[in-house]
Formats: sequence, structure tokens, C-alpha cells
Amino acid sequence: MNQTLVSMRGITKYIYGADGRPIRNTDVKILDAVDFDLAAGEVHVLVGENGAGKSTLMKILGGIIPPDGGELELAGLRVDLRDARDAREHGIAFIHQELNLCPNLDVAHNMFLGREPRRRGVKDTRAMNERSAELLRALSCDLDPRTPVARLSTAQQQLVEIAKAMSFESRVVIMDEPTASLTKREIDVLFDLIRRMRSDGLGIVYISHRFEEFLGLGDRISVLRDGRSVGSLPMSQFEPAAVIRMMAGRAIDQMYPRTHAVGAERVLEVKGLRLTPRTPPIDLTVNRGEVVGLGGLVGSGRTELAKSIFGVRPFSGGEVRYLGRRTTSWSPGRLIRAGMAFLSEDRKTEGLVLGMSIRENLSLACLKLVSRMGLVSRGLEQAQSAAFIEQLNIVARSAEQQVTTLSGGNQQKVVLGKWLATTPRLLILDEPTRGIDVGAKAQIHKLIDEIAGSGVAVLMISSELPELIGISDRIYVMREGGVIAELAAGPGLTQEKVVEYICLGTAGALTQ
Amino acid sequence: MTREPMNLRALIGRNVSLFIFLVLAVCAACFVHNFADRDNLVIILKQSAIPATACIGMTMVLMTGGIDLSLGYIVGLCSIVSGILAKSLLLPAPEVVLIVLAVGGAIGLANGLITQYMRVPAFIATLGSGYVIYGLAQIVSQGSIINRLPKPFLAIGRTDLLGLPSAVFIALGVALVFHVLISKARFGRQLRAFGFGPRAALLSGVPTARINVLVYALCGTLAGLSGMLFTIRVNAAQPNMGGGVFTFEVVTAAIVGGTSLFGGIGSVAGSILGVLSIKIIENCINLLGVSYHLYLAVQGAIILVAIIFGNMTNRRA
Amino acid sequence: MVFSSFARRGSLFLLPILGFLALGSFIPHFLDVSNLLNVVRQSSIIGICAVGMTYVIIIKGIDLSIAGLLAFCPMVSGLLMLAGFGIVASMAAGVAAGIALGLFNGLMVARLAVPAFITTLVVGQISQGLALIVNGGRSIGAFPARYVFIGNGALLGLPVSDLILFLFLAMGYFIQRKTALGNHILALGGNETVLRQEGISAAKVQFLVFGFSGFCAAVAGLLLSAQLDTVHPTQGDAYQLDAIAACIIGGVDLAGGRGSIPMAVAGALVIGCLRNALDLLGVHPFMQNVVIGSVIILIVFLSGVVRRRTELATRGTL
Repeated sequence: MNQTLVSMRGITKYIYGADGRPIRNTDVKILDAVDFDLAAGEVHVLVGENGAGKSTLMKILGGIIPPDGGELELAGLRVDLRDARDAREHGIAFIHQELNLCPNLDVAHNMFLGREPRRRGVKDTRAMNERSAELLRALSCDLDPRTPVARLSTAQQQLVEIAKAMSFESRVVIMDEPTASLTKREIDVLFDLIRRMRSDGLGIVYISHRFEEFLGLGDRISVLRDGRSVGSLPMSQFEPAAVIRMMAGRAIDQMYPRTHAVGAERVLEVKGLRLTPRTPPIDLTVNRGEVVGLGGLVGSGRTELAKSIFGVRPFSGGEVRYLGRRTTSWSPGRLIRAGMAFLSEDRKTEGLVLGMSIRENLSLACLKLVSRMGLVSRGLEQAQSAAFIEQLNIVARSAEQQVTTLSGGNQQKVVLGKWLATTPRLLILDEPTRGIDVGAKAQIHKLIDEIAGSGVAVLMISSELPELIGISDRIYVMREGGVIAELAAGPGLTQEKVVEYICLGTAGALTQ
Repeated sequence: MTREPMNLRALIGRNVSLFIFLVLAVCAACFVHNFADRDNLVIILKQSAIPATACIGMTMVLMTGGIDLSLGYIVGLCSIVSGILAKSLLLPAPEVVLIVLAVGGAIGLANGLITQYMRVPAFIATLGSGYVIYGLAQIVSQGSIINRLPKPFLAIGRTDLLGLPSAVFIALGVALVFHVLISKARFGRQLRAFGFGPRAALLSGVPTARINVLVYALCGTLAGLSGMLFTIRVNAAQPNMGGGVFTFEVVTAAIVGGTSLFGGIGSVAGSILGVLSIKIIENCINLLGVSYHLYLAVQGAIILVAIIFGNMTNRRA
Repeated sequence: MVFSSFARRGSLFLLPILGFLALGSFIPHFLDVSNLLNVVRQSSIIGICAVGMTYVIIIKGIDLSIAGLLAFCPMVSGLLMLAGFGIVASMAAGVAAGIALGLFNGLMVARLAVPAFITTLVVGQISQGLALIVNGGRSIGAFPARYVFIGNGALLGLPVSDLILFLFLAMGYFIQRKTALGNHILALGGNETVLRQEGISAAKVQFLVFGFSGFCAAVAGLLLSAQLDTVHPTQGDAYQLDAIAACIIGGVDLAGGRGSIPMAVAGALVIGCLRNALDLLGVHPFMQNVVIGSVIILIVFLSGVVRRRTELATRGTL
């Protein structure tokens, strides 16, 4: 059973600019000549940090996005996949993290959506139910196919999706963090299923960050880092420290400015905050002049924590104290007036108001400062825009330019300018340098250092470990909705150490 | 979209409402007999004052991405209320004005609260409240119309100034106030931000809930004012005044005036031009002796054209 | 959680039945067979509109053109009939007009992404305007006897109106439960992305749903005029909100994806009974409007609360 099901060679995907065209003449790509194969009857684990390219690579295999370079071969034949359905026709099934079902339909109707069986011109519900039940039984699942999907647990919904995928006679199954919301017992059931699929000759790609889980399941493990394949090992040779080094061991050839000093005043204190009723309580502090980093995978709760602090996301317990006052139920407006600022990671829908100009966006969070007697003063606004355009080096024809026409990096600078204009005392940044060129990144790092130096407390979420470690005075590592480690800056704070916590949790830190 | 050329197409694109108005005015003056007579133009202005007042309110609601389908019914209720207050209860004119505005404002406030806090979609909330208001208006009037209203009350809108009735100047004053409010004041900036990007606005500290409720309250107040002016103009207070047809006319005017159904885009100046434009059309239909009912169908066609045209030049996905 | 959903569904059945019996005991003549048959006959207009409206609401839209179509379509067929054309041909023309306008709504929503409330509002106004224009704002009446029979006659002891209502109920039920299209309609309301991923054209579904709603409104309008032996240009106004109310009372969720035709028709009957009972009690029709308008807002609000409560409870992940 050694047939090669999938062979991906030299897969490349460029970063796309604001104009929709790929940026080709740069070293920085989403995927850079990545090779990946999958044999029949194997579970191939794929690991990497945020932004390593694992999802993109699998989306290409799943037909969801096309590659910009490289070749895909299925069972030895060169293939160009048009879309996800085409991939499915070729026997590739993708089980996403966000499940792809209609909650208002029952199991059978979901499984046969678009190919409802007919008998004498009329929909044959009985045949549909029977075939669904059959498919589920093949996965050792005895769900009644007439159950509405909304009433199923996440694990059950996942089984329905897998059964649906199996019904297309898939040979390749891609699973993206499938155990994220499952209980231990449900994970066992899922793993039994995966083993069975393996012995049936299927090839399974398993994306995960939970080392302790896939140790017993995988046959091979491949590591991606910054869009490149870093290495591939049989699971028998798997050694956590070595793999972590492959995931995070990049040379930090960059000096990060650090001229600020941490003050003594406690600006932000989070006590016992639960993001959901089922996640552990979070404790966190940020002092005046301190830069605190928040590391962890996408989905570990970093953004949710930031939004809970900023009053736009309800939480299930605990409290937030800002400058000594309990701010648990304060509105964003009130928090902004008290000096809190939040730069969201989603700048298109949460950072910028598309449809307005640079000037109007810059003043939006501090309109009182540029108004006289309730009327917005053009003069004050224009002075403000000019100042920030210069200070942040925003490349634009004028302050009247629509923000939709700016490049990603410049858009980010406008959002940053908006928050700086409020003269904050606590600045929460969510991926502040995402999508920005190297030069601008360095500028922003310098800016953060200066801001901290002027006494502002900074809480920064970043998926770029070198940046996170380089700038922060202290780092909290989050995993699955809770904080599992607090690390101070120093020789012991390495990228590998952070990844270690992410992949192993607290129950397995390799070195203290 | 990336260049800002100063050619004719861009010029028209940025001032569509003015362009439409000018084209209509010129065509009417050229092709319709008697259109350009002074008396006729005065009539157009007099007829525009009433929907213009209401249109300003509707514009603000549309700018938040909502709609007020009860507007025409608020007009009817406030019409009969003003009649009762002025004639049956013989209240002095200033008090009548205050109470009518308060009634309109209260209904608008209810609409806003239902939409914002009960999370009922605007079109359903105002459709339902419109029904309720219509019923209340009928009940309050007990089926009768009140005419021959007291002179001091009528004087609010009928006092002659520079050849035009005071109602026109009231509408103008309201337009001015709200023009400043929407285009220059903090409120207007926040309103536009809310319309374009409600999420980004909320995260930037814009009090979105308060603004959402406020625009409906203002719309209701202006609808009430409009109803009162209408009553004064025809010297009759009746519950059937306004109605769904009036609501539709106001929406048409706002859209012709450049207000976007998706939120964010809208202006008082544009809406006033929109009102004038459709009133010119109505006037021409009258002068040409065509059935008045054509006007209703034409309005619908206008909105369709405006929507289709707007969609093609201003795609907001 | 199972109990609350059962309680919710049970209450939708139970409350109207209890209310019905309560009304019957308090109001003289309410439970007379002739009165009840009359109620169904009058509710049939709302009911037929509600059948089409249910699908529109399921796909997260709304149809505000009912009022206009209820006047325009019978006006078209009425004028043709009075001009000497055959009854069947005239009626077919009226129905065709309704279907065409419905399809136009679907086109605007599907291809131009115009919000349903605005496009149907506009089409409603245009057709209302046309209904007023074609005969100078006057009513028409005195139709051929066979047409009037449809509205007022009986077959096998049951009013023809009731039979037509039942026909539409069966049609709607059939589509929903026995065709693939029914599944696609629900899927569009439930998770449009999944529908598109399966290669089904969301535009086609929208097109058909709005076309069907136009069809229902046209038939309802023709039936109404047959009942009244008149086409009055504004006869549709009263039914617009009642059709929506019928769906809402029948448990069709405004948020989309949920709703059943038989329940919507039941909602229409509830409204018919309610109005009939209030009539018998001498309550002013306009007061009835106040009641119904408030009820709609209340039900939409409550169903929204229930929906958000269950969403919060089942939210396991961040």
C-alpha cells in the first residue's frame, strides 16, 4: 500500500497587493517552492506556526485556491483543480475547522444537498435516510439521519461531514485541527475512525499543533516555516525538541529597539476572566511603560481576550481593572475617553471605515479633539492629518484620499494614527505589522518602543515570534482559551520555548 | 476608482442629484407649456416644502442602512392630532407645534428603540408600527375630518414672506440646520461612519446604539412637522393624510438625491434636490394633463433606474 | 433543551386552539358552521399569499409587493374579461402578470443584490400605480357569473375559495417536502456558502422563490375580486401586513432558514379567526390593525430572544 496519492512539487503562492495583483519580486511569499506528498494508507501530520503556510498549502490541495507556481499530481497524473467541487470529484475531501453544514436541515438533507435522490420525479426521502444511515454506520456512528444538525454536538457534526466526504469515494482526506472542540472520548472515537480509514488505503493529512495527540496517530510529520518546507520525518524519529527547532528556529538577524523602561504603576489588570464558561480563568497585568506580548495560535483566544478587555465581547466571569477601576461593563467609547485604544487585526471591517478619507478616519476616535462647539473644525483636522501622515510616513496623494485606495501597509498606518491621536494610556495592538513591508515594520517597532518610553502601557498580539520576543518585556502564551505560561524577557525566552508551550501545553515543558 | 480626474463624467458622478435636477428643470422649461411661469414655480416650491421636511429625516435613517416605513402614517396621525389640538382644544399655536413635534418624536423614538434594542429589522418594525399608527389615527379621528382651522394656527405655515408661504421657509430652515448637523457637526461624521462601517465605528468609540435610536426619533419628529405643515396647507386635518404613498415619495426623493440604500452616503442638499426633481415631474404630469396615477408608477420607475444606475457605478458589495 | 423546543412547537399548536375555543365560548355565532366556513373563505386570500411569502422569508427576504399585485393582476384580468376575452384567457393573463413581476423582483435581488424590501416595495408601488392608471382610478365590476362563482360558489359542499387555498397548501407542502428545490430553498436560508459550494445557483433559487410569491399574490388577487365581484384599485392594502403576520404567527423565522407552509396557512387562519371574532364583537377594523401590528413586533422580538438564547447556550468554542 505504498502508492503515492498526492505529489505536490514546488508549490508557490505569492502575497497579493491591495490592487489584487501578486507581488512577485520579493523573498516574502505565502508559500515558496514547497514539496509535499501523501501515500496511500498513511497519516501525514503537518505542523507549523501561524502564517507558516499549512492552511494555504491544503487549500491548494483542496482546490479552494490555485497555486501561483508548481505542480500537483494525483496518483501520478498532473491535475489542475478548478474549484473545491472539482477537487472532490478527484477524491479529495477537506474537513475544515469551521464546519460546512446547514444547521436548519437534518443530517440526511445536508449529506445529499445538491444530489437529492429521486424516485418517479419526487425526492426520495426514504432512500436518502437509508443511505445516510449506511454512511454513518460505516463510521460506527448510529445517529438518526433525521436529526436536525443544529442539535448535534461539534463531534457529531464533524462525523456527518466526514461521512458526507466519504460518500464521494474520497481517497485523500485533509483535516484541519479536527480535535479543537472535542472531548477526550470523542477524540478517541475520531482517531479510531482515522485508523480505519488508513487501513482502508486512504491518505490522511492531519494539521495540528497538539504534539501529545498525534504522536500515537501519525506515520510521518512535515514542518513548514515561513512558507518553506523545513523537513520531513517518519514519526518513529519524532523528537519534540527537534521539531520545535524546525518550526521556530529561525535566525533573528534583526535588532529590535529597546529604549523604554518598565514603570511601576499597574495600568491593566485582568483577574479570573473566562472567555467562555468552559475555558480556564485568565490573569494578566500590564504596567506603565511595559510592552507585554500575547503569543499563541490563531484561535487560542488572544483576540477574544483583547476584545473582552475593550468591551466589545461579553465574557463569562472575572473582571477587568484599568487604572484601578473596574471597567467590566464599559462601552468602547467610555474606555477610549479614559485612554484605552484597540487596534484590531481586521482592519477592513474593524479598523477603517471604508468609504471615508484618510483625514476622516484619523479623527474618528477623537472627534472631540478636533471639534469646536460640536462642529468639526477643518483646520484642526487637516493639521492632525498632516502631522500623522508625516510622522507615520503614510504614502498618499493627500489626506482626502479614500482609504480603500491605499496599500495594506499604509492602511495599517492610518489605523495606528487614529489610535495615537487619542493619546492613549493603554494601547492594545492585534497583529500591528501584518501585511506591512519590512521597512514599515521596523518603523512601527521603533514607534512602539517610543510609545512605551513615553509611559504608555502596550499589550501586543503577534504571530511573528521574532517580533514578539524582540519587543516584549514579558510574554503570555495562550492555548485554547487560557493562559498557560508567563515568560520574562531574557536569554531563556526563545522562539522554541514559546512554540514548546503552544505545542505541548503546560503538561510537558521540556526544559524549565 | 484610483484616479480623481476632473472630467465631465467624474463631475456628474459626484453631483448626480444636481445634474438630474438641472436636466429636468431645463427639459421642463423647454418642453412643457407654462412650466416656467412664476406662479407655477411658486406652486412647485410650496408643494416641495412638505415632503422635503420629511425627506431630511428619512435621509438620516437611510444613511444608517435602515428605513422608516411608518413615516407616512406618522404624518397622518400628527395631522389629525394637530387639528384636534388647534380646533377642538383651542390650544395656542406654539403649544400645538410643541405637542405635535413631541408626538412625532415619541413614535420615532419607539421605532428606534424597537429596531436597536429589540433587534427587530427596521422594515418589519416600522411596517408593524405603521399599521398601529394608522389604526390609532383612525380611532383618534373617529372617522371625521377637521377643517376650517383657527387662523393663528394656519399662520404658522401660511404667512406670506417674499411671495412665498412661511412653510417654505420653515422647510428651508430645517434643511439648513440639518445640513450643518450632517455635514459639519460631530454627529454627522459619526452618522456617516456608522452607515459605512458600523463595526469599525463602534470600535472607534462611536455611540452606534444611541445614534441609531436618535435618527428614528428625528425622522419621526420631522414627519410630525411635515404632517402639521400639510394640514395647514390644505386647511384640513385628517388621518388619511400621507400614508404609504407619501412614504414612498419621500424614499424616492432621497434616492434620487443620491442617498445610498446601503448606508453612509446621503446629504441634505442632495435630498432637497431630489424632492424638487420629483415635484417637477409631478408638476409636468399635471400640466400635460396626464393621469395623476402615472406619477405613482413613474416614481417607482425612477427608483428602479436610480438603483440600477447606482449599482453600476457604485458597487458596495 | 429538547423540552423547550417541544414546548415552543407545542405552544404554536396549543395556543391558537385554546384561543379558538375560548373565543367560541364567549362570542355568539362564532362557532356556527356557516361562520367558520366564511372565516376560511376570507382567510384564503391571506393564506394563499402566505404560502408564497413563506419561501421568501425562508431565504431571508420579504415581499412587500403583495398589496400592489393584489390589485393589479385582477385589474388586468378584469378589464380583459369585460372587454370580451374568455375567462380562462383573462385569468391566465392576470396570473402571468403576477409571475412576471415576481420574477423581476427575483432578478433585482439575485443579480443586482438590491435588498428585497426595497425592490418589492418599488414593484408594489409601480403595480399599484398601474392598477390606478389603467382605469383612471375607478373600480370595475359586474363580472361574468362563472368568475364570481369561483369566489363565492361551492363544490361538494365546500367553498371554492377553501378548495383553492387547500390546493396551494398542498402545492407549497409538496415543493418543500418532496422536491430537491425545497431542500435548496431551506439551504439558501440556512447557509448560503454551503449551497454555493455544492454548485447550486443561489440566484436561480431566489428567482424562483420570488416568482412563486408573485404567482400566489396574483391568484389571491383574482380570487379576492371573484369574491367581491369588484376590482378596487387599493383592495390589496389590507392584506400586505396580514400575509406577513400569518407567516410570523405560523412560526416562519425572519432570520431565515426555518418555516413550514402548513403552519403559515394556520397562521392565516388564526388571523382570519381573530379578525372575525373582533368583528363579531364590534371592534373597529382599525383597532384590529393596532393589535395585529403590535403582535407582529412582539413575536419577532420574542423569537429573536429565543434564538439568541439557544445560540449562546450551544456556543462551545470561542
